[in-house]
Amino acid sequence: MKKRRFVRIVLGEFGLVLLTLLILLPVYYFVIGSFKARMDIVKYPLQITWPMVSSVGFKNFAYAFDRIKMFSALTNTAMITGSALVIVVVCGSLAGFVIARIDRRMFRLFYTFLIGLMVIPFIGCLIPLVVQSTKLGTYNTLLGCILIQAAWNLPFAVFLFTGFMRGLPKELEEAGYIDGCSMISVYLRIFLPLLAPITATCCIRAGVGMWNDYLVSSSLLNGVQTPTLMVGVSMFFGARRTEYGYAFAGIIMASLPMIVMYVFLQKYFIKGLVAGAVKG
Amino acid sequence: MVVMNNSTKRLAREPAANRTPFQRRRSVTGVLFLVPTMLLVGVFIVWPLIDVIILSFYDWNGVSTTMSFVGLENFRSLTDLPGFWEMASGTVVYAAGVTALTVVISFFVALGLDKKGKGRINRSFLRAMWFLPCLLSMMVVGILWRIMYNYNTGVINNLLAAAGAKPVNWLETYGVTRWAIIVASVWAQLGMCVVIFLAGLQSIPTELYEAAKIDGASGLQRFTNITFTMMAPSITINVLTTSITAFKMYELPLTVSNGLPGYHTRLLTQKIHDLGFKAIDLGRGSALSVVLIVVITVISIVQLTYLRRREDIY
Repeated sequence: MKKRRFVRIVLGEFGLVLLTLLILLPVYYFVIGSFKARMDIVKYPLQITWPMVSSVGFKNFAYAFDRIKMFSALTNTAMITGSALVIVVVCGSLAGFVIARIDRRMFRLFYTFLIGLMVIPFIGCLIPLVVQSTKLGTYNTLLGCILIQAAWNLPFAVFLFTGFMRGLPKELEEAGYIDGCSMISVYLRIFLPLLAPITATCCIRAGVGMWNDYLVSSSLLNGVQTPTLMVGVSMFFGARRTEYGYAFAGIIMASLPMIVMYVFLQKYFIKGLVAGAVKG
Repeated sequence: MVVMNNSTKRLAREPAANRTPFQRRRSVTGVLFLVPTMLLVGVFIVWPLIDVIILSFYDWNGVSTTMSFVGLENFRSLTDLPGFWEMASGTVVYAAGVTALTVVISFFVALGLDKKGKGRINRSFLRAMWFLPCLLSMMVVGILWRIMYNYNTGVINNLLAAAGAKPVNWLETYGVTRWAIIVASVWAQLGMCVVIFLAGLQSIPTELYEAAKIDGASGLQRFTNITFTMMAPSITINVLTTSITAFKMYELPLTVSNGLPGYHTRLLTQKIHDLGFKAIDLGRGSALSVVLIVVITVISIVQLTYLRRREDIY
């Protein structure tokens, strides 16, 4: 009996690891590829030897760095993602607080309306958005991009924050009101400190989406030379003879910041999901 | 969820006349708190949404100062677009394929990843590995898979050759390319579904399993009656979000196959972009946008009502 159980565990783990490796194969392929020359990538896609690496070194990275115009692209992307994320977290948590904590019909209706907006595809509104931003004077400006990113990520953020705050005990705020707190200080002093896990969830979901965005920045930052990282990376697509090594190096540099953020926030991420989204 | 703690229940609602000054003041402050959200959403989502509906009734090239009202002509003439039905059915097949594969695979992967105990590999490491592709941009995933699918130089044909099989033209074969982009999309979306399923699995109280064991339920019975039923909310969320994402998908199929062969893998989203930014036919582009929005909304509502009903069974 015990032996059979052991065999089952080993077989199960073996299958799981095999599947995980299969999923990671493309990642492995492009990570080692970024240190190899084109010929080696094509001929020996999954092997890596020291002579292959030493002849290329970081040349691929250096070239991709120039080609994407890394400095300005990185600054723009970080500016857009950072500012939009701040707006999303502030507005989203305020709205979630009200919707979760004040039981009025109008707030519930507003919530349903916001949730409904999540199904609207961005590309469906792209044409009028471009027309609108020329009218508002935000076409080709970072500000326009920031506001649009913030607005389109807000409904999901409100959904997360509302779900999370509905799960917090009401005694918390009652104690605050009895002690003479106003609503804003109940929000600031009692709720805000508790929001770390769901804020991490929100930052990963919304932040990754904004950082990786191509559609918004490519259509609304048309006249800017190097708009954002993903627009820069997209230059590796389309050319007849792509230098694979350059593309891989560019992909790695553009994606690394989000991977680092995920590593730091991972602990909270699952917690926030358990507490917030799934119970909705 | 089923087990609702007393403290999480909603505050009892009072009729308007009975509201205390405290409650009234709270509602006013509440509205103030919502103002920034309303402004952002109103200006950047609702306004363009109304605009796109209005634009769909006009013939406009985006530059001229005059717009001529054409009624429903834009919608009618959508079917005259070359390859329209192929694009429309392709979009539906793509979305259905991606949703089904992603949700089913990720469900079983999550079951495997949820198991704990001696002799098993560190779970948080494995979980992070599964989530890794989700951190990549759809643009990046597209470029990556395009390189891997390449007929002469791609790694997939390379491996096939090593195994003694014939190379496949992944990017320009009817019937094959569609599945090629579905596989790439599933790869990109699996991790998110796995994480949500894991969160759902963790919120099932272990007492249920213990009680079922005492009552003599078999492993299969425990799975269907506890795991599968209790997972209903996460299944709802995953089916909904995956299908919505699939219908909205633009960058990935564009970079992998660029719509080829013919209109086989050209999704409606790509056609909207072409009409709006290449053909400068804003009226028809808007009409197609309205069609896509309506389709997604209807499909989401149907899914939601069906899946919610399933949730209510227990």
